[in-house]
Amino acid sequence: MSGSPREYGLSLAAAALCTAACFALFSVSSLTDLVMVYLVGTLAVALRGRRGPALLSSLLGVLCFDYFFVPPRFTLHVEHPQYLVTFAVMFAVALTISHLAVRVRTQAEAAKRAEVVAETERLRSSLLSAVSHELRTPLAAILGSASTLLQAAKGGGPHSADLLVNIRDEAERLTRLVHNLIETTRLEAGASLKKEPYPIEDVIGTALERSEKLLAGRRVETDLPENLPLVYVDPVLMELVFVNLIENAVRHAPDAELDISARERMDALEVSVADRGPGLKPEDLERVFEKFYRASAAPGAGLGLAICRAVLEAHGGSIRAENRPGGGAVFRLTLPRKAGA
Amino acid sequence: MNERSATVLVVDDERAILRFLRPSLEANAFIVLEASTGRSALEIVVAKKPDLILLDLSLPDMDGIEVLKRLREWTSAPVIVLSARGQESDKISGLDGGADDYLTKPFGVEELLARIRVALRRVERLARDPEPVYEHGDLKIDLTVRRVWLAKKEVRLSPLQYTLLAALVRSAGRVVGQKQLHKEIWPEGESTPESLRILVHQTRHRIEKEPVRPRHLKTEPGVGYRLEAPDE
Repeated sequence: MSGSPREYGLSLAAAALCTAACFALFSVSSLTDLVMVYLVGTLAVALRGRRGPALLSSLLGVLCFDYFFVPPRFTLHVEHPQYLVTFAVMFAVALTISHLAVRVRTQAEAAKRAEVVAETERLRSSLLSAVSHELRTPLAAILGSASTLLQAAKGGGPHSADLLVNIRDEAERLTRLVHNLIETTRLEAGASLKKEPYPIEDVIGTALERSEKLLAGRRVETDLPENLPLVYVDPVLMELVFVNLIENAVRHAPDAELDISARERMDALEVSVADRGPGLKPEDLERVFEKFYRASAAPGAGLGLAICRAVLEAHGGSIRAENRPGGGAVFRLTLPRKAGA
Repeated sequence: MNERSATVLVVDDERAILRFLRPSLEANAFIVLEASTGRSALEIVVAKKPDLILLDLSLPDMDGIEVLKRLREWTSAPVIVLSARGQESDKISGLDGGADDYLTKPFGVEELLARIRVALRRVERLARDPEPVYEHGDLKIDLTVRRVWLAKKEVRLSPLQYTLLAALVRSAGRVVGQKQLHKEIWPEGESTPESLRILVHQTRHRIEKEPVRPRHLKTEPGVGYRLEAPDE
């Protein structure tokens, strides 16, 4: 039966509005038509609010109708007993309408809540499977390599260089994942960005340097004009964006070269990172930015591109994926040039 | 001082870190001392006078920056600060507090050894006359005649660009904080945060073959810049 003061206010407003409408219609309509107007008002309130306000609205409808329109007008006194029947029917119909409307609304809300719960559940389980796979695989490789090395050290076997490379590479993969997880959490917790003006070349340069082992000698073509405007970015987060895009390209387009270019637009800088891999299915162009979504069987926790989008949006920019003429995927980033954006 | 017999004090309370640092340093002929608290680090510095100190900033008993300041009252030995990723402000206060360099955890042993060598060689160099000529790969900078060459061709630099390079050459191999560079290049304080970045950007386009992948003048994100250590 409850309702907020605002919802009760809505009942009063509806009654006033209906009364005003009835005054306008009074000269051209019969009294029964005016009853309809009040019933519409009650329905509107019931669709928005809860039982209490709907009940109040039903009651107000009857009282206003009686007071303003039933002869003798402007008193609550009733001349003909037949009007008492009208009032009773009007009140009963208003109650029924509001009861039904409220029920429909609560059911819709319950369904929506169930949907949200299901969605959260789905997200949580995909998080668990993706992250646990990403955490377990390198850990298994590190443990396996290390224990083999330990045996080799005891028995004096060779092969240690391969195993050591394995330990190092997998540990680095874990490091990247942990870094992504930490930054995602920090962004979602509403951490503020440390934005300062930077040449984009500097940010891309540090990302390329950090990705050196990942790139393993693969060719990266860069096309960055010297006189590009500065962009206001958080250097640590923007570097993470480029490292993630490079890692993504390395995973999905293992042997192809990478093209990174930047152009000045109206009041923004557009940077694109393009590969010559298999490209993306049309339905994946948007979905690849969803958290924990993986477009193919290639490894990955499905976090890299999601955090790219989160970082870009936090900068007032955007990122989108396209297929490249001639094959491959291209990620286009737009960064505003002004500090305030 | 012979680098081969140098003594390194490792100040870290993580057993796992000590477990891998000791054998890697000993394998490279360093003598390793360990301290797991700030207090014991200060005691060892006074008693054993290590040649170099690796200092983790998160210690159980004291603030790492405080340890650094107290260390500096006792020793001028190079201090390399170890700190985690994303803690740029720690690195900056470390450099301001008298650290020579820093390493971001996790790091590889090659990187650690390279930093230790640069720091020890610098001590050696300071004891002798300063090197007037810096050479690294295809880059040559002569501080006596104020001239710069890239692949044997002379490079024309603006006075500011030259001042930047000269400041970095004097600390070659070490990171130089943004604050210090601002002070050296614009002693009157007539600069904005981006002045330095623009200057580095322009200088790279003069002295780097591929400015986006610099081989000489490296960025230390959020902290400062490093000119690679000169060739042997």
